[in-house]
Amino acid sequence: MREQPKHKIPQKGITVWRIYGILQTFFLAVAAGVTSFLTYYFEGPFYLHLIAWGVVVIAFVLLIWMFPNIRYRIWRYEVREQEIEIQSGLFVVTRTLIPMVRVQHVDTEQGPILKRYGLSNISISSAATTHTIPFLETDEADRLRARISELARVAEEDV
Amino acid sequence: MSKYKLHPISALINLVKAIKDMAVPIIIIVVANGFNFTVDFRDENFFSQMIPLLILLVVVGFTFVGGILKWWTFRYWFEDSELRVEYGLFVKKKRYIPFERIQSLNYREGIFHRIFGLVQVQVETAGSKTGKPEAELTAITRIAADQIEQEMNQAKLGQQPVEEHKVQLPAGHIIHKMSPKDLIVLATTSSGIGVVIFGVFAALSQFAEYIPFDWIYDEFTHLIQYGIALVASLIFFALLGAWIISVAITLLNYYDFTVTEENDRLIITRGLLEKKRITIPLNRIQAIKIVENPLRQPFGLATVQVESAGGGFTSAEDKKITLFPLISKKEAMVRLSVLFPQFQLNMEDVDMIKPPKRARSYFYRIDFLWLLPLIAVPTYFFFPYGLLTALLVVPIILLGIWQHKTARFFLFDSQLTIVYRHISRITFLVEKRRIQVAEQRQSYFQKRRQLATGRIVVMSGMTGAEARAYHMEQADIEDMMDWFEHKKTSAE
Repeated sequence: MREQPKHKIPQKGITVWRIYGILQTFFLAVAAGVTSFLTYYFEGPFYLHLIAWGVVVIAFVLLIWMFPNIRYRIWRYEVREQEIEIQSGLFVVTRTLIPMVRVQHVDTEQGPILKRYGLSNISISSAATTHTIPFLETDEADRLRARISELARVAEEDV
Repeated sequence: MSKYKLHPISALINLVKAIKDMAVPIIIIVVANGFNFTVDFRDENFFSQMIPLLILLVVVGFTFVGGILKWWTFRYWFEDSELRVEYGLFVKKKRYIPFERIQSLNYREGIFHRIFGLVQVQVETAGSKTGKPEAELTAITRIAADQIEQEMNQAKLGQQPVEEHKVQLPAGHIIHKMSPKDLIVLATTSSGIGVVIFGVFAALSQFAEYIPFDWIYDEFTHLIQYGIALVASLIFFALLGAWIISVAITLLNYYDFTVTEENDRLIITRGLLEKKRITIPLNRIQAIKIVENPLRQPFGLATVQVESAGGGFTSAEDKKITLFPLISKKEAMVRLSVLFPQFQLNMEDVDMIKPPKRARSYFYRIDFLWLLPLIAVPTYFFFPYGLLTALLVVPIILLGIWQHKTARFFLFDSQLTIVYRHISRITFLVEKRRIQVAEQRQSYFQKRRQLATGRIVVMSGMTGAEARAYHMEQADIEDMMDWFEHKKTSAE
């Protein structure tokens, strides 16, 4: 068995995922409201109400309650001298291995919600793909960015 | 120094291309108007109906003037071992491309080019990742195109005077030339054949007189059956027509398909009406893909594609560069081993790693998810005949079993070979140093039975290309990850 990557993301991550979940559920609720109104107005069948609000309830349970916890349990990362390993996923757990030689650039970014919690995302780009580690403490993200770009510069092709 | 202009015909080519790009909106406007344009200007609707047309005319006019202006102001020249391009009237655009960064010059000859003996030159650099060539010379003479190449080679030589004693290959050392017979087989068995098979089914269905219409609407039976026969034969002829067109297109595109090797570069030329010439430096090739579709596999025939970093020709159909459109697999191996001696191509004598038996159901059971509504909906509306859709399960399971039988992979020292099947059997060969990222993917259900899917990504065009080893033994995929990770041993 390969070992899991060492570090988990901060627990605050769950909160941020919940907030995203609340926002998404809110938009769904608005859509459901519109559907309900139109159904009422044009005297559509009753089950349309049920479907619309059923979706909202399911989204509420999944997006706000269950998914953030599962995601938090699964997400892990580790930066080693020769490679970066990220474990991510929800239904399918994906473990990604990015060799330092392949790293082209590293970015950190922070939106308004993340800023409030003092968190940042860090994304690592290879020539073909981009991988994000979400919700790291901003200090940690900056430190990692510096470290990865340094390691990526030193890493040499040995094949 | 002298600056060069493009051939005047490029203004016309620009216009034709712009109109081609606008074809969809034009058609939409015409169709939206229901074709009933009135030419009677006394009609009160005349002006309102003319507005979209007028807008179109203005747009076409602008592009026409723009095309002329672009040609009028376009200059290219050579300076400081750079190719310099400049155009624009109000906003001047300048682009200087150092010769050493130029990776390939690709040529294309459309119909207009052929008439005047011109070529279109696309300059590709390693960095052109936007998917567009770094510079495009719409139409210049053959001689001018050769001059660019000469200037480029001269500049490159000048910078490295201590060039190793490279044996100059006799220019154009032909690797592969497609015979007319192969071309015809290629054209007739390309994916277009699926359309024909479908068409034949549609035609056959009219003979199926067991259609339950008889006892549902007895009176209309004849009428309806006649209608079905008519519709079915119409569909048949439409599909036949589509197939003939697709055959013709393949013939035109792949006519005189030739691959030559020259100074570590592959040069692919093809086309009848529109000639294309693509250059790929061998060291930019990231992976080899051997595709055997089910129709060709029994005859030992395959298509060989290469994934190349950097744009290649930019349109979607050309994203994957076809090296051998149709070739017997044995012959392909011989030719590939000449071109890519670093690859281990022999797959018969090695014990490839296969998915375990318990993985078999994983290849088809995920498909039941989308099959479920496909069966449920017709069953609900057309009970009991809708239940027949449940028969779809059979081919899906058979395909899954076939995929399970095909799937395998192997780790050599520095090469990964993955064989998998969606419908065609694909053999994906890649060197370790070309793999950008490796992934181990495991769903909850895979985890319960210690299975995992491996996925690797290589650079190709803009987005990258991937290959997956589906539902393997978890331990085997972990070996793959270790293999990819273990660089320390070689460094220490």
